[in-house]
Amino acid sequence: MLPVDVAITRFRRDLTIAALVRFALLVAAMVCVFAAPLFGSHQSWMFILLVVGGIWVLLSYRSMQGTRLAADSPSLIAAGEFDRAESHIDASLRSFSLFRNAKILSLHHLAVLRHAQQRWRESALLSQAVLSQKLGNMQGLARNSLLLLADSMLRLGDLRGAFGAMTRLYRYRLSLGEALVLQLLQLDYGWRIGAWESMLQAVGGKVQMCELMPRLNAARSQALLAAAAFKTNRIELAQWLRRRAQLLAEPQEIAPGQPSLEEIFRLPG
Amino acid sequence: MEAMECSPPFLDVPTLLQASEPRPRTPWLHFLIGGFVLTIVLSWLVGHSSQSAQTQDLLESVIAFGLMGFVASITLSGFVSVRRARAEQAAVGAVDELIQLRRWPEAGLLLQSLLSRPARSPLARAQALLFLAMVLARYHRFEDSVSVHDFILGEIPLDDATDHVVRLGRAMAMLREDNLLDADRAISELRRSSRGVESAGLALVEIYRDVKTGHPAEAIEMFEKRRDVLRRQLGHRVADGWALAARAYDLLDRPRDAQAAYENATVLMPLPELIRRYPEITPLTSKYKPAPAPAEVA
Repeated sequence: MLPVDVAITRFRRDLTIAALVRFALLVAAMVCVFAAPLFGSHQSWMFILLVVGGIWVLLSYRSMQGTRLAADSPSLIAAGEFDRAESHIDASLRSFSLFRNAKILSLHHLAVLRHAQQRWRESALLSQAVLSQKLGNMQGLARNSLLLLADSMLRLGDLRGAFGAMTRLYRYRLSLGEALVLQLLQLDYGWRIGAWESMLQAVGGKVQMCELMPRLNAARSQALLAAAAFKTNRIELAQWLRRRAQLLAEPQEIAPGQPSLEEIFRLPG
Repeated sequence: MEAMECSPPFLDVPTLLQASEPRPRTPWLHFLIGGFVLTIVLSWLVGHSSQSAQTQDLLESVIAFGLMGFVASITLSGFVSVRRARAEQAAVGAVDELIQLRRWPEAGLLLQSLLSRPARSPLARAQALLFLAMVLARYHRFEDSVSVHDFILGEIPLDDATDHVVRLGRAMAMLREDNLLDADRAISELRRSSRGVESAGLALVEIYRDVKTGHPAEAIEMFEKRRDVLRRQLGHRVADGWALAARAYDLLDRPRDAQAAYENATVLMPLPELIRRYPEITPLTSKYKPAPAPAEVA
């Protein structure tokens, strides 16, 4: 398994090398173009320019190969083929890439993989490494990394870190899928700090959002809302939400290892 | 007035299928290779010509500038092309969101504009066509929906999972169209192609067929057998299964079971939405009580 600190160090080193190579190739190309008219040299610069162009095309091709390797990993992670995903990401991170976006994407995929493997600390570290880069037009990746970071922090019990990541997400316009994930994270956070009233604000809209979530997320969200409703003595609402959650999943699926949430399924009514 | 007469009808399937046909892609890589070869040849010719060294330098510079301009223009066109492809993918994603949010008119309008011009990527087109079939079914244009499904199955190569989803949509549209013979054939095909893999979608289609054709006992048997799969794979859409089970219990004159199933269905999904999907459950509204929703979410 690829150690996270090694991956991050290698990622930073490769970004620096790639930037230097790009700069060197561009300078070489400019020298070739301007050398003859400026310095009046009779040497054939065209040949050198062609070599520089050839190197650029070759390195671009190699970078694209790395990008293609990395592109396979999300589907492998989704299919639960973690070992294959790991080897693809490892190969992609090891290969030289002229373009920083490909490297950043590979590191993000590693963060997603570690999250799927429930290695929360490693996933958080990788997400932070991704977010420390200037992401420019990769706003979707920034949002995904923040969601991963917030979830990993919550699982680690670092509520301050989770809050920080969620606050940063408010700067972005989220897609529907991202908004659904954020709602679950907010409910989880609210439940952990006992913010029952704020959890139940605009509960009608939250319930509608739950209907669009994957089964377990929907069940868990509604169980969390039911817990808040029980705490604030809104018994009818609590029972209704609990029933919806129970129709979607078993209590042990909804709240694994969280006895305080599982309790709501033992309450009468 | 004339413009109105000329404009194609809303979500006209043949027009959209034809207009969205992807254009052949520009072979930029070939141009790039050709440009390099041309530069080498020109450079060689200039180097071996009888002109003075100063003229040769000037010509080489012109060729170098030309080469750089050529590479820059190819890079720029690639950049523009990627941006357009991203915009197309974003539009398809937006249609997906609108459908999930049940904002059908907006989804239809976006599909109309998206499919009225050649698609950049066949994958985006396939997704857009699948969404078109869903929107058409929502507008009760089941025949059109079936024809779009048939087009996707016939013309676009699909992976197994997508193929299954398309065939499910097609079978459901056929059932809604009351085309029971074709629907039955489509269900048999689905059963064969699923090769024993548990599919909640297939179970739901079969339950619906049994309810429609007056075989409630078979519908309930299927529902009981597949209840766990329906719950695992459908999420909130398991309400569809409960609603159809309620209708089947009602047909078998088992009012207590029908009431319980009806409550489970309506606790998960608003009743109007269920009736829109399955008009066959309308008689239940006068016989059974839906689950009461609390005031906070009503």
